[in-house]
Amino acid sequence: MSEQRTQVSIVPDTGFINLRGDSQDADFLNAAEAATGQRLPVKANTVSEGELRVYWLGPDEWLLVCPAEKVADVISQLNEKLSGLHVAVNDISGGNTSMHLSGESVRALFSKGCTLDFHPKVFKAGDCAQSGLAKASVLIGLIEGGTTFELIVRRSFAGYMLKWLRHAGREYGIEFT
Amino acid sequence: MLLIECPWCGERAETEFSYGGEAGIVRPAEPDALSDAEWADYLFNRTNPRGAHRELWNHAQGCRRWFGVERDTVSYKISGSFKLPSGGEA
Ligand SMILES: [Zn+2]
Repeated sequence: MSEQRTQVSIVPDTGFINLRGDSQDADFLNAAEAATGQRLPVKANTVSEGELRVYWLGPDEWLLVCPAEKVADVISQLNEKLSGLHVAVNDISGGNTSMHLSGESVRALFSKGCTLDFHPKVFKAGDCAQSGLAKASVLIGLIEGGTTFELIVRRSFAGYMLKWLRHAGREYGIEFT
Repeated sequence: MLLIECPWCGERAETEFSYGGEAGIVRPAEPDALSDAEWADYLFNRTNPRGAHRELWNHAQGCRRWFGVERDTVSYKISGSFKLPSGGEA
């Protein structure tokens, strides 16, 4: 039974980098790939997974997620490869918290506080979306082959978010690890 | 609850958006050359139609881009969304 339980874990020491640039510019896309080893997702509301998790945030904006210890290295690679291009690279690690949720009931749990459609035919592996969850602004992605939801919130909202998840997830036997 | 179509994200709930007023209002190139009445017209006067209205919306809790929506101000029916002339791409 335990594997069906809804599990939530805060992923400690997660690094976040905000990257902005022109997705119509092949030079930018190629340079970003050279810096990160991954192609930036240009399809709206998708996440690409490799060494980093790269979330589409907008037509000219991405969020790169990686272990905190790698942030400095990724940023120096980006600054080097993207130099001369019209871009912005910002370390926003201090401002965000990542939680990973797994279990059968996560879609139902999210649906209690979010207007997105979490039906498995609609929200599929590799999809992501920014929206509101219990009125907090969130980024939700379905990663790791569709087994795990990553929930990214402002760090200052993390305590509130956990309290809401604890309360809303009680009927699903939510567990925090 | 309106369903508003973001040109990038598709249909989302109204609560994710913020309203930006009438679309297509261009800032005068030379404000100094305008009379007070002309400047006030730019700042304050809107067409406020009964019926089809082209207006600005921002996908504030989503991709945070500005775009245009055509909405009927009587029925609230939305007939479509459009990217702004700048494209909003970058
Ligand atoms: Zn959007």
